[in-house]
Amino acid sequence: MKTTQIESEVTGTVWSIPVDVGERVAEDDPIIMVESMKMEIPVCAPAAGTITEIKVAQGDTVNTGQVVAILTS
Amino acid sequence: MTSRDDRQTDAANAAETVADKLAALDAAKYALGDAARPEAVAKRRAMDMATARERLDMLCDDDSFREIGGLVEPDRGHDLSRDLIAPADGAVTGTGLIDQKPVNILAQDFTVLGGSIGAVADSKCGRLVKFSRERGQPMVMLLEGGGHRIQDGMNAAHFAAASPVFRELATLSGWVPMVTAIMGQGFAGPTAYAALCDFVVMVRGQSTMGIAGPALVKAGTAGEITKEDLGGAERQADQQGIADLAVDSEEECMQAIRTFLSYLPQNASEAPPVVPCDDPIGRRDDALLEVVPADSRRVYNMKKVIDTIADKDSVFELKPGYARNMITAFARLNGRPVGIFANQPMRKGGILDVPACEKAAHFIAMCDAFGLPLVSLIDIPGISIGPAAEDTGLGRRSGRLFFEMGIATVPLASVVLRKGYGGGYYAMGGGRAFDANIALAWPTAEICAMSIEGAVDVAYRKQYEAASDPQAKRAELIANIKAQTSALDAASGFGIDDVIDPRDTRRILIETFANCPARRINPAPPRHRPISPI
Repeated sequence: MKTTQIESEVTGTVWSIPVDVGERVAEDDPIIMVESMKMEIPVCAPAAGTITEIKVAQGDTVNTGQVVAILTS
Repeated sequence: MTSRDDRQTDAANAAETVADKLAALDAAKYALGDAARPEAVAKRRAMDMATARERLDMLCDDDSFREIGGLVEPDRGHDLSRDLIAPADGAVTGTGLIDQKPVNILAQDFTVLGGSIGAVADSKCGRLVKFSRERGQPMVMLLEGGGHRIQDGMNAAHFAAASPVFRELATLSGWVPMVTAIMGQGFAGPTAYAALCDFVVMVRGQSTMGIAGPALVKAGTAGEITKEDLGGAERQADQQGIADLAVDSEEECMQAIRTFLSYLPQNASEAPPVVPCDDPIGRRDDALLEVVPADSRRVYNMKKVIDTIADKDSVFELKPGYARNMITAFARLNGRPVGIFANQPMRKGGILDVPACEKAAHFIAMCDAFGLPLVSLIDIPGISIGPAAEDTGLGRRSGRLFFEMGIATVPLASVVLRKGYGGGYYAMGGGRAFDANIALAWPTAEICAMSIEGAVDVAYRKQYEAASDPQAKRAELIANIKAQTSALDAASGFGIDDVIDPRDTRRILIETFANCPARRINPAPPRHRPISPI
């Protein structure tokens, strides 16, 4: 079992969270949508696995490199 | 006077002597092979790794590898090296065919003194460089080992002379394609050689590279780290981009090398190889009408565009795991190799940051060196801003992309798919910035000096804040500007050549490159050399 911290690649605001804790995702599935530069930019799963924690809520400010979710695979 | 009997006896003795010599030669060459070195082979099997000679068999066309320097003995001129046993001095060198074309190849033998580089092996490498330079043939290095052989190197009488290897590799750069495959442990020497190569490939879970391995790191810093964490594919290919590709097996590694070379000429004086193509020039895909969302807030996957306009199954992505906001890929258009670089909106909105700029710059330089026309697919919201961006030296390092675009002379086609904003639009070769052979836009293009909302907030804030309904006024100002930044507006000033139906992109690119000379006119004055910003 490998735990991966999913980091935001951009600074912005959490626009939406299209997954739930416990949900299985595929590599590159959007986990968090961050509004930045007037776009909704996905923070994607780096690998297939299960989302075991979501660390942000809609409307939160996130910074580049900030951990927004935990993936277990 | 010699009698006939004497002559027959002498002849018989001479033939026996040659036969003996041939037998000795056969024995000496047999001793180099894997069949004569079962312990070395067993060590490889225990690690689930191939021998140097097996790698050459995997890489080259059947029975095409011709070895030179196999019979060398190692340098034994010092106290530490007097008793060395080192078949081929730990490096198998020679020329093999890859897809019927000669390539000069060095394969380090990790079973010989840990793959360390001996003085004689260094000479053999220099000889391959000479072959590559004089014959105009690619150079491939399959590296697994350490750096300088300690038994040679801890002696100033030997080491002070250094070695011309890096100068030699630098003189080859841009003349012939240069490839390094890091096949296993590749700290120090192999990493330094790889740095000068055009294509570096690693095997996940097996290859490691970096300045120094864990033992030296521990000795120098007292820090403990595994070789995988220090220099594995995840760090060096995905995070740092000092390797161009990470694959899952040695077989895939050799295939990747063959694929990479298939897009390139043998040397810079030849044209890139055009292959037969049955994918119609005029193929129009309705999917291209749906790729770019009407809602400019939505991102999309630029790879779908690339895969659709290129010849089927012809796309070979370089550095797919690094700087994913910039896509760099070889592809073919009607059988002609091209280099495609494109913003990837799904990653960081496609913005340009240091990794993206440097990834694109290196790719453009390589395509320019070997005559591959460039295709720039543009959807760029700008160049990254803010303190975090400044901390990366972006203000200077972004210059490298402008620089390589400025000195490239291969044909260039730019296509603005959606956003073409500011300095990023310039850097991607939009409009007349870099003398594109054709500058195009899709109907969804929006071209202007900066993000529209940003422009309004910078230049018109006082105006809209003074209004009775500031937000409405702001929206009105944004709408007014949007009304003059469309693709048709761009075409009206002749800053681009045409606005096109996305489905015609493939055909127009193919026709453009068929009509262009192999090189654009180089406007440079008679300088000795340009100076890269970085």
